Amino acid sequence: MQAGGHRLGRRVGLLPLLALGLAACGGGSATGSGSGNNSPLLIGIVAPFTGPDAALGPAYFAACLPAARAINSAGGIMGHTVSCQQFDTRGEPADAVPAAQQMVASHSNLMAVVGCTSDEASSVAPIIDHAHIPMFCMTGQSEFNKTSFTYFHRLVPPDAFDSYALVGSALDYFHYKNVALVFGNDIGSQAFVGPAMNALQHLGATVTINQSIALGQPSYRTEVTAMLATHPDVIFTEALGPTDATYLAEVKQLNGSTLPFMGTSATIDPVWFKAVTGAIGVQDVLNKFTAVDLGVSFSGPGYTEFKTNLDASAAQFADAPKYAERGATLHLYDGIMQAALAMDETQSIDPTVYNPKIKDVGNGVSGATTVNTYKDGVTAIGSGKSVVWVGAGGPTHYDQYNNSQQGYIIVKYDSTGNEVTISKLTEQQTAAIIAAGGG
Amino acid sequence: MSLIIAAFGFGLVSMSIIAIAAVGFTMQFGITNMINLAYGQVMISSAYAAYALNNTGVNIWVALIVGAIFGAVFSFVLNRLVYAPFQRKGTNLIGMVIISLAVSLLVANLLLPIVGYYSVSYHVDPGPTFHAGSIALTGLQLAIIALAVALMLVIHALLKLTRLGKAMRATAANPTLARNCGIPTSRVIDLAWLITGALCGVAGTVAGMNSDSFAVSNGSEFLIPIIAAAVLGGAGNPYGAMIGAVIIGVMTELSAAVISPQYKQVIAFAVLVLVMILRPQGLLAKRGALAAAG
Repeated sequence: MQAGGHRLGRRVGLLPLLALGLAACGGGSATGSGSGNNSPLLIGIVAPFTGPDAALGPAYFAACLPAARAINSAGGIMGHTVSCQQFDTRGEPADAVPAAQQMVASHSNLMAVVGCTSDEASSVAPIIDHAHIPMFCMTGQSEFNKTSFTYFHRLVPPDAFDSYALVGSALDYFHYKNVALVFGNDIGSQAFVGPAMNALQHLGATVTINQSIALGQPSYRTEVTAMLATHPDVIFTEALGPTDATYLAEVKQLNGSTLPFMGTSATIDPVWFKAVTGAIGVQDVLNKFTAVDLGVSFSGPGYTEFKTNLDASAAQFADAPKYAERGATLHLYDGIMQAALAMDETQSIDPTVYNPKIKDVGNGVSGATTVNTYKDGVTAIGSGKSVVWVGAGGPTHYDQYNNSQQGYIIVKYDSTGNEVTISKLTEQQTAAIIAAGGG
Repeated sequence: MSLIIAAFGFGLVSMSIIAIAAVGFTMQFGITNMINLAYGQVMISSAYAAYALNNTGVNIWVALIVGAIFGAVFSFVLNRLVYAPFQRKGTNLIGMVIISLAVSLLVANLLLPIVGYYSVSYHVDPGPTFHAGSIALTGLQLAIIALAVALMLVIHALLKLTRLGKAMRATAANPTLARNCGIPTSRVIDLAWLITGALCGVAGTVAGMNSDSFAVSNGSEFLIPIIAAAVLGGAGNPYGAMIGAVIIGVMTELSAAVISPQYKQVIAFAVLVLVMILRPQGLLAKRGALAAAG
């Protein structure tokens, strides 16, 4: 008895370290292929496909598939076909760095990288930039507002602006005054908190409580009890995975009803919708939830082309059509198309040659022909014209740091999980809130 | 103060779930000498097995039994096909831990394409809410606490009052001597994997019932407080795991109320580190139920 106890006891010191090791473990997958005459080109999706933010990666993969389909059906880029490959970061910088290093080391045919969320952008952007691969990132971190990375592109505004839009819609449209902030403790979600607090306080609203909650916990009842005691009018939230679902179900249980809650653009997502409706019911989501999303019209020839190819991509990824109204999916699709057309315009598959041209394709140069499909772009370039891409997400306005942004829309869900626009915040309104918030 | 009292109430629920899981984990360790880091993934797999049935309209308590059976069979198969062959070859403890870590990642990544990255919720009625001062618990939560108490009593009875329990204790203390004394240690170890696997399955399912929503990613999150409770109480000692679960369950909830919600797991490990400094063998290591039969 004693012997057994000692034998086991001496070994237990390993357990905590091993548990932490388990939590930190991750990986990616890659297969090598070289580039040559008409050799295939690769688009890397560097994003979380496992871990708490596993819902993000599929949205970006869903951007790549219709882009590759549109390009390949038009004959490829100067004859080079395009394919998509996932590189899983698990949403952790520690896993993202080896995944990105492995990607650039194993694939000489990378034409672009998409994804790079706030979870990993800071750690992978230097690697991708150093490898001279154009990247289109879905990070909202303010450190990229004036970045020195020349291969970095961002077609979405910084998270701070998302926060300002959230504050603007809560105060101006819904006239809420007392706001509880409930955000996940991950890097991406926390990027919203500071700007939201600044804007709320400067605009005369009250932050009743600011909760940074650990993702993936089995229960948040203590946190919910503390939050309810502050009597907010509305909850601002972004806590991905099952976290928001668990938290909001416990709000409903402990409060007797669901409080109004508003989400960032990341909550306009089929995975989030399914989780939260499963926990609190569809009716509560329809009646109590609103969000801000990027100002996308979901119409026009560029969107139609995207939608057609997205639906066809269901053969490769069954969930692809569910991302038809996910702003991030549309914008990353546009980024890939801009890179492809930049390659056609420069007649080069060398990123150092076509990377500077991406901004021209996005913003347009004097006399450029507007194109909404890759095929039309190739035709126009073939006839000696410059092109400007107006795709699924609408026009692009790159600044000197390759950041582009548009206005915001206020949205809710319908019963099938589709986004419904209920109002619009113009760029001017957003700018006014940003100024008031000290942004 | 009312928040602290309420947090204590919620801590009772957390403690109950951790206790079921930690007792299974620590018995696995104590009897089979296997630190099974895939335990959290078996928990979440069992939760999904119960969900598959519950989602077709089957009552959650029936689904819980299926979750327990799934956990038992999965754990048994895991040992027979993966762990036992390596142990027979003489793989040392560290090697076995690494193998279980690999199994954990394999299970998580195999589960993902099967169940998807969507979070799911059981169809379960939480029942009426009962109040005692600032403590408010639903009928479902009280049922989970009662289930945990019942299982702890069953484990106590198994270890102290049955021949199997005696054989388990003998196998844990010295498997070679136990075998020479005529105890069929292979069969005892098989039964240990089935019993601890069932506890793992029950824990995964009740964790899903309590949390309203769960996903594959919860598997690794489950493991952290379980290991903390098991080590805190004295690894290999079921009673220690029960005490460890009480401390970890209540401390994490109280820390969320008093300090910050984001440090819940940090607090669990801070308590663990403190105890390991003061009492490296854990709280009850020298008086364990898995001590040699007397």
